[in-house]
Amino acid sequence: MENNKAEEVLKLFKEKFNNKIIDSRIETKTTGLKKNNYQVIWLQINPEDFKDTVDFLCSIYQYPHFAIISGNDKGENIELIYHFSIYYGERFKEISISLVLNLSKKNLKISTITDLIPGAQTAEREIKEMFGVNFEGLPDLPNIFLPKDFKKGIYPLRRDEKGIEKPVEKEEEVKEDD
Amino acid sequence: MKLNKYFERSLWVFHLNSGSCNGCDIEIVAALTPRYDLERFGIKLVGSPKHADVLLVTGPVTAKMADKVKLIYEQTPDPKAVIVIGTCGTSGGVFYHSYNLRGPIDKILPVDVYVPGCPARPEAIINGVLQVWIKLEKLREELKVSQVK
Amino acid sequence: MTKMTYSIPIGPVHPSIKEPIIFNFEIYGERIENVNLAPGENHRGIEFMGRERNPIQIIYLAERICGICSFAHPFAFCRAVENAVGIEVPERAQYIRVMIAELERIHSHILWAGLAAHELGFDSVLYLSWRAREEVLDLLEDLTGNRINYAMLMIGGVRRDMTANQISRIRKTLDYYKDIYGKIEDVFLNDPTIALRTKSVGILTKEEALRLCAVGPTARASGVRKDIRQDQPYSAYADLEVKAITPEVFSDKINGDVYDRIVVRLLEILQSVQIIEQCLDNMPSGEIIAEKKLVKLLNQLKKAKGEGIGRHEAPRGEVIHYVKLNESEFPEVWKARPPTYNNLMTWVPMLIGQQIADIPIVIASIDPCIACMDRVTILNKDTGQKSILTKEDLHKLSVEKTRRIAL
Repeated sequence: MENNKAEEVLKLFKEKFNNKIIDSRIETKTTGLKKNNYQVIWLQINPEDFKDTVDFLCSIYQYPHFAIISGNDKGENIELIYHFSIYYGERFKEISISLVLNLSKKNLKISTITDLIPGAQTAEREIKEMFGVNFEGLPDLPNIFLPKDFKKGIYPLRRDEKGIEKPVEKEEEVKEDD
Repeated sequence: MKLNKYFERSLWVFHLNSGSCNGCDIEIVAALTPRYDLERFGIKLVGSPKHADVLLVTGPVTAKMADKVKLIYEQTPDPKAVIVIGTCGTSGGVFYHSYNLRGPIDKILPVDVYVPGCPARPEAIINGVLQVWIKLEKLREELKVSQVK
Repeated sequence: MTKMTYSIPIGPVHPSIKEPIIFNFEIYGERIENVNLAPGENHRGIEFMGRERNPIQIIYLAERICGICSFAHPFAFCRAVENAVGIEVPERAQYIRVMIAELERIHSHILWAGLAAHELGFDSVLYLSWRAREEVLDLLEDLTGNRINYAMLMIGGVRRDMTANQISRIRKTLDYYKDIYGKIEDVFLNDPTIALRTKSVGILTKEEALRLCAVGPTARASGVRKDIRQDQPYSAYADLEVKAITPEVFSDKINGDVYDRIVVRLLEILQSVQIIEQCLDNMPSGEIIAEKKLVKLLNQLKKAKGEGIGRHEAPRGEVIHYVKLNESEFPEVWKARPPTYNNLMTWVPMLIGQQIADIPIVIASIDPCIACMDRVTILNKDTGQKSILTKEDLHKLSVEKTRRIAL
């Protein structure tokens, strides 16, 4: 049954990591006329245990689907959420798993997962240039979205002094004689 | 329309994308398809700015494309005209307050015709090209007259 | 040893493909040895702009991330906000959303088929297929008011309902596509020249597709059965039996080459027609939006707190949006991830070992929506020769190869 799978998966995580999991919850969403449902698991862990968690996830299901990393500047730390999903391939069986990490701004480092999941390279490069997070083990590649001559040390999606100071102004009211 | 007087030769058009969402670009290509059929007016899409009479520019200009847009404008031989297609090239549209956009196209190039719309319909694009055609023919006349002098 | 020495410093747009692309590569004879990616020219800073807009304004911004999949992004965004806040979408709205999404899939796949034919040199197929595409654009204009950028979605439902006249028009358009599908399939899948140009070209094995997390028809053509409409159904898909289409439905073996991708996309057109018919037959009645007054909706969103993920199977693959609301007018986090983002890396294994003349069709075969990525630099180490070819040069090479084969 689909319902048990999400709880089973969460139980496996808790058995392996028990008190290293800071927070967890399962959300169930219903859709359609027939009111079927699907589930989303949210897990919050420490950055040090992150690589082991992803390793464990790959052992539960061989090729987890990696979707994206979303980042949020919360002032003292930067919260990264890795969105995965497993058990795709059969109707109604897919479960989304989101791993939440909090990185302190004084120590913006996290290990890369491109050796386990090569498809994560684009996402890690984007977070590196948008937030300034250092991914240990990621090869040093040029900027992926920002121009090459973008100012170093400025990270557009940050909200502190390292973000963009002032957005580009709206066009001035210029009268052209034509 | 004073077709006989003005349309001596066909018009060659070059399409330039400065970071747009592709909506207007697809409508430009759709203007070539059998339903709207630009080519029956003698308007042809060419692959190099050096053969073009008219530049069709779309998109809000991103930082990387700003100098490339200027370079292509300078490579196009005179007499030439610039048509801006779509709202984001005309005034920015929904894209405002971004760190990577250099503003509407008339901050970088001198524009002759604006075709608004998000995306601009193929009929509007054809109308814009025809407007510029009349202007170009006049420019050619002036060039001929000044050369004779 | 032939050395290509064309050198044009700017990458203008080819008449038929939309975005600025500069190719920069070194070759060994005619073969490519290594590939390196570097997008960024189309970067408009959309997520940064989203920080100064309330969720209703973000719908209109999300529509213009890409003009071809302009329904997919707002769909995923609305689902994310509804999941974050806990808004229930009425059933009739769910069915209308699915119907418009499937109509968009039909128009996008036909668009792609025409462009793929153009890359191979069959210009008349481009014109014929885009003429066929006008039927579905007329229908969308009748239903929504515009050919592209429909503005049909609102958080909690859709903005416009369907009348009985429109429904009978939908059925007529679907009949047109059912009639014409045989011709499309004949032109693409039974033509010997297209088979010669596309079979065993640009192969992506199943293992590579899984490791690189490819999505959409690119993954399905390699045998990976990944389709959100089947795995984690949402809206009306939860009531319908949608199966991920893989090439063995048509031919026996799965090769993961360009031919298989054409097969998957053409079969999906037929599947979309069937889905729309099922939706029409089972369409429930009722409201089309959860909260009609926009001011009340905005106030509800201003007081909301929560986070949500919205996913949608766009014509190119999985679109995922993540939204976090924190009791303010503007969302705290908005992350939009279009499908080409994941499919970018699949160019690397596909292009290695191929000939230069095959580059246009291989690049076009993943259906890149380059409003999210743009420049490809292809490096190759052997000869030490660096050459810059623009899209026109590559297109010319591709067309010449077709002429050689056809003779």
